[in-house]
Amino acid sequence: MNIDVVGLVWLVPGIPLAAAIVNGLFGRRWLHRATGVIASVALGLSAVLGVAIFFAVVAAGHVARTVTLYEWIGAGDFHVNVAALVDPLSATMVAVVTVVSFLIHVFSNGYMEHDPGIHRFFTWLPLFVFLMLTLVLADNYLLMFVGWEGVGLCSYLLIGFWFERPAPYTAANKAFWMNRIGDWGFTIGTILTFLTFGSLTFHDVFPKVAGVAQTQPLTITFIALAFFLGATGKSAQLPLYSWLPDAMEGPTPVSALIHAATMVTAGVYLVARSTPLFAVAGPALLVVAIIGAVTALFAATIALVQVDIKRVLAYSTVSQLGYMFLACGVGAPIAAVFHLATHAFFKALLFLGSGSVIHATEEQDMRRMGGLRRKMPITYWTFLLAGGALAAIPPLAGFWSKDEIVGAAFTNGQPILWAVGVGTGLLTAFYTTRMIYLTFHGEPRDHHLYDHAHESPAVMTVPLLLLCVGAVFAGLVLGFPPEAGFIHRFLEGTVTAEAAAQSELPNYVLIAGLAATAVVAGLIGIAIGYAMYARRRPDPAAVSRAVGPIYTLLWNKYFVDELYDHRILEGGRALFGAAWAFDAHIIDGIVDRLAWLVSLLGSGLRRVQTGIVGNYALSIAAGLLILIVVYGGYATGVLHR
Amino acid sequence: MDVLGPILFAFLTLMIVGGGLGVVLAGRITTSALLMAFTFLNMAGMFVLLGSETIAAFQVLIYVGAITVLILYGVMFTPQTPRAYGLFFQKQTPWGALVAALAALPVIVVAFSFHDAASLPAPGGDLNALATAVFTSFAFPFEVASVLLLSAMVGAIVLVKREPASRPPAAPPDPERPV
Amino acid sequence: MTLVPLPAFIAVSATLFFIGVAGVLVRRNAVVILMSVELMLNATNLAFVAFSRRLAVAGERGSVFVVFVFVVAAAEVAVGLAIILAAYRNRPTVDVDQLDEMKG
Repeated sequence: MNIDVVGLVWLVPGIPLAAAIVNGLFGRRWLHRATGVIASVALGLSAVLGVAIFFAVVAAGHVARTVTLYEWIGAGDFHVNVAALVDPLSATMVAVVTVVSFLIHVFSNGYMEHDPGIHRFFTWLPLFVFLMLTLVLADNYLLMFVGWEGVGLCSYLLIGFWFERPAPYTAANKAFWMNRIGDWGFTIGTILTFLTFGSLTFHDVFPKVAGVAQTQPLTITFIALAFFLGATGKSAQLPLYSWLPDAMEGPTPVSALIHAATMVTAGVYLVARSTPLFAVAGPALLVVAIIGAVTALFAATIALVQVDIKRVLAYSTVSQLGYMFLACGVGAPIAAVFHLATHAFFKALLFLGSGSVIHATEEQDMRRMGGLRRKMPITYWTFLLAGGALAAIPPLAGFWSKDEIVGAAFTNGQPILWAVGVGTGLLTAFYTTRMIYLTFHGEPRDHHLYDHAHESPAVMTVPLLLLCVGAVFAGLVLGFPPEAGFIHRFLEGTVTAEAAAQSELPNYVLIAGLAATAVVAGLIGIAIGYAMYARRRPDPAAVSRAVGPIYTLLWNKYFVDELYDHRILEGGRALFGAAWAFDAHIIDGIVDRLAWLVSLLGSGLRRVQTGIVGNYALSIAAGLLILIVVYGGYATGVLHR
Repeated sequence: MDVLGPILFAFLTLMIVGGGLGVVLAGRITTSALLMAFTFLNMAGMFVLLGSETIAAFQVLIYVGAITVLILYGVMFTPQTPRAYGLFFQKQTPWGALVAALAALPVIVVAFSFHDAASLPAPGGDLNALATAVFTSFAFPFEVASVLLLSAMVGAIVLVKREPASRPPAAPPDPERPV
Repeated sequence: MTLVPLPAFIAVSATLFFIGVAGVLVRRNAVVILMSVELMLNATNLAFVAFSRRLAVAGERGSVFVVFVFVVAAAEVAVGLAIILAAYRNRPTVDVDQLDEMKG
């Protein structure tokens, strides 16, 4: 093959952008439902190209190539190019993002079929993918920030897609504002990076990191923390996580896209991309690990008691992202990227499966479902496998990646974080079992809903099946044998700071022991879930009564929303009220006085405008007289210069 | 011969200043117009006195001929009703006269600071020199001046051209058809 | 031959010019104002010709300028009269004091 596939990398984001432009311009009047076909075909092409680039990079080994489109900013020493950095990390991300997005697009054709705003949907969706790919492929922090902000905007537009109802636009606003807080961190990080390193390009910054860390360790730590603040916003970590569950108000494919491919992985990608920076950032790395572990546990406990199927999935995403940050924090960014990839498949599958259920029943409350496996076999089986992957049941995808993270926490000297990881694994297995059981097993609790349920059309089930392949095999293909699998060799040296240290043979006895512990914890979780929801022994209602206050706490999601609303937002409102009063009375007051003064002057001058031509001529003559006097004064020496 | 020049000059000056004042002060507008033509004619005499016979000929042709006729047409086309109030001056008259007089004084004073050149061009007409200058150094401005005249002519026609009294009313917009 | 000195011509020119200025300022009939403007233009012509004939530095340029002033004067009076007629058609008056639509 003589075609330089990597050189065509700009087409990967370019094709979705073209689809978004075409759909945006012509969708409403002419294309209507054809927008879905256009967007899907575009994403299909993009995915083919993305996978081709992935294999091209695999074939070439450890390449890192920069494909420059044009120079964006050139001011003195400050150069920023619109350029794509193609290396193993970005190639992996591109492949995952394009493939998963393509399947979600196809699924959306069925899901959004009857929505009057379908052209809008299929304008924002490819745009979303375009901006995510911009973020992933950027070779500098500034271009990355463009994608970063862009996905924030698109998530806002898509979460608030059904803006006629109050809940979606409230959720969209919440997502936007929380992301803004994170973006502020990203901005600070970018500015500090430029001030410290004099460049924003990854290839210029990372080689200097070690040297600067010797002289200015605090600066590096601060930059890393600023970027991590950005990552917590985008990837829904504590304390900025609460927008993601609310984002469930958007159409379900959007949730799948946000959770699997385009939005929340951005934060993980940022941290993984900046690994050389974080590796020398000292305490910042520990902060990342702790935030990740705490978020994982925190979100998993909330997920235990949720009754909305999509909210369970949302909290599980927050939890799994916590795992990824935990991996980054304990110095195993490969495991983070690995988990990101497998998670993209099984979480997209779970969301699309729940979308299939919602499409069939028009209901999101699991308490009203039950027994749906008989009506929706394909959805059930794919959902079951994806749930198994989420619960880290071997040999499904989630097992390989998650165990690697938890194991890395142990081997890198963080036994407490390891324990948190294992405990979270138990909780994950429990709520996954609960969700699957409440939805698909048992007796139908709402017969009207059950009678009308039906399996989804092929346009929706085929993507489910394809994603299922990924959810089952991705872990095995990419990650076997553990810590020496394909993805490790592939990403080694790109993500990890010290490639040599990783190349020694892993301690398989230790790995097997840790994995066994995690698997046992997962099985215990499944067993408890089965006992409670299949055998009613103990009865869930009785359990929730027994632990009353804890249940209330979890049911209300630790009252975090209330805390934010009442404490922080109240304070904010007071501040904004003061700012408004200042604006209205001081700023506007000054402007009003000025305007009053000007109008006073104007009404005075207005009298001069008599409209009588003779008066104007007289004023001209008076001016002439003045000129003559002044000129004559100078000419005769009466006046001096 | 010696005294003829100054006598002629004094006479012409009297005529010009008197005619000019008459133009401004005359009650009847036709009187003003005729006095203006008279002033222009005397100005032509001044030009002859200065030795510019060609300019004097132009003066007679253009000012005394064309412009006076145009002004008289203007007088004809507009009604000249006698004023009910006072003479014809307006409220700013004293101010206008004062400003004009104040401005005139220093200019006239400055006028006496000029002196005749030591060697004067030979008498005997200015046609050759004028024609040479117009068609060599000033050829381009001369052409531009012709464009100016043309545009002034077109402009004048456009200004006085009557609009058609009434146009057929425009069809109301069709509410059925999208714009 | 005794020549009439240059300053005499300039003084006459200035006098006529300011008579014209006064006419523009004090008269209210638009046609008379136009005539006053013509007086002013003619007064400048006298100055031009006088300088042209009596100042070596001026040369023929003064006379050529007079030709252009003729052109401008002709154009000006044509357009001026057209404006007066157009204004008269809109409001039947040539009294400039009553043409005060631009009053602020």
